[in-house]
Amino acid sequence: MSNMKSRSLLVVIALAFTSPLVAGNDPVHERHELMEGVGDAAKPIGQMLKGERNFDAGVVMTSLRTFDDASAKFGGLFPPGSETGEGTEAAPAIWEDRAGFEQALATWADAVDAAIAAQPQTLEATKPVAGEIFKACKGCHDNYRIEDE
Amino acid sequence: MPGSRILRVLVALFLAAIAAGWWLTRPLTIAPDDLPDHEPDPLAGERIFWAGGCASCHASPVDGKRATGDDKLLLGGGMELDTAFGVFRVPNISSHREDGIGAWTLVDFVNAMQHGVSPDGLHYYPSFPYTSYARMPVADVMDLKAFLDSLPPVAGRVASHSLRFPWSLRRGVGAWKRKYLDVAPIVPAGSSELVERGRRLVEGAGHCGECHTPRDRFGGLIHDRWLAGAKNPEGEGRVPNITPGGKSISGWSAADIAYYLESGFTPEFDTVGGSMVAVQENLSQLDGEDREAIAAYLKALPAID
Repeated sequence: MSNMKSRSLLVVIALAFTSPLVAGNDPVHERHELMEGVGDAAKPIGQMLKGERNFDAGVVMTSLRTFDDASAKFGGLFPPGSETGEGTEAAPAIWEDRAGFEQALATWADAVDAAIAAQPQTLEATKPVAGEIFKACKGCHDNYRIEDE
Repeated sequence: MPGSRILRVLVALFLAAIAAGWWLTRPLTIAPDDLPDHEPDPLAGERIFWAGGCASCHASPVDGKRATGDDKLLLGGGMELDTAFGVFRVPNISSHREDGIGAWTLVDFVNAMQHGVSPDGLHYYPSFPYTSYARMPVADVMDLKAFLDSLPPVAGRVASHSLRFPWSLRRGVGAWKRKYLDVAPIVPAGSSELVERGRRLVEGAGHCGECHTPRDRFGGLIHDRWLAGAKNPEGEGRVPNITPGGKSISGWSAADIAYYLESGFTPEFDTVGGSMVAVQENLSQLDGEDREAIAAYLKALPAID
């Protein structure tokens, strides 16, 4: 019995060590794709705010869920060794100032949580909560992203 | 003796050349009586302050980083611009009477902003973009002075520039100005009132061309390539072409451009980056109509590849 237990413990430990490696096989690519998805999700909300598209509470909520999912995963996609490659726009500051980066990500996640909790049903109600999210995007990009142009 | 006569003529010609050079490079200014009859309005000046982005260079850096929020109103200078000509140090333009420009008269300020001449009668280097400010309405410059006077004084003088020879010869800037200081519009008068308003902001206070237009080997802007993109003056890469012929924003509508300047988001919902971050933050302080005017002007520009 105890042998079984220690064996399953070993399996758990082994998984704990290998799974990040498997998940983070190509973190540069993964985080790029994730951020592309965030941009795609932000676009319809932005178009509503600009008056280029009719307000749709369902579309807003779908976008917010995309943000929520991405903000939970994003911080884990910057392991040591993924500083360069594939034209990454990740700034060295992510690794030099990890605490600041985590803080910026938390600001983003908090703004998304607040927006989801608010369940905005009108354009007027979406404006302030989306504004906080967009501010978080900018805030993080200003300090932790380099310009590729 | 013919030899000494030739020598005398040569010396005379040499002295005449120096005198002519001295005369050609003299600082040209206006007198108090030349100012228009205009009561400076600090509130109108605040608009010019944000359009001009004065804070981006003149606000004192905080812990080595660019100032944000209310710190943008503390104009003690101190930022350094490391260029091919040497290091330019941005001066204190706060309302401090000794260390800043609080003791300047209105005409001192207009001469600095639009003629590139200090109250002591010395040329400024064009790192201070007076060749753009020369295209501003004088009344706007007067309003700006009234707004700057309303901001807090900041103590502390900034050291002078450290430039390489021959750029260290300040008098030579006078010759440069003869070629490059001009008040004429770069793009002929706008097709509408909105475009014209945009032209004044972009070519004047906004000094957009200083980064978005390439320079010739003397550092003057190449007007044939107006806003068609240039080498990044602050490092690697390029500053984008923002004419309708460029790749970066030619697909954007005027509303997209105005929204970008307001929010910092591109139509693809990417965010503004690099040096444009500070510019966008400043322009977000303007009335919406000013951003629409800038967008209308950019859309009306000649398309350059």
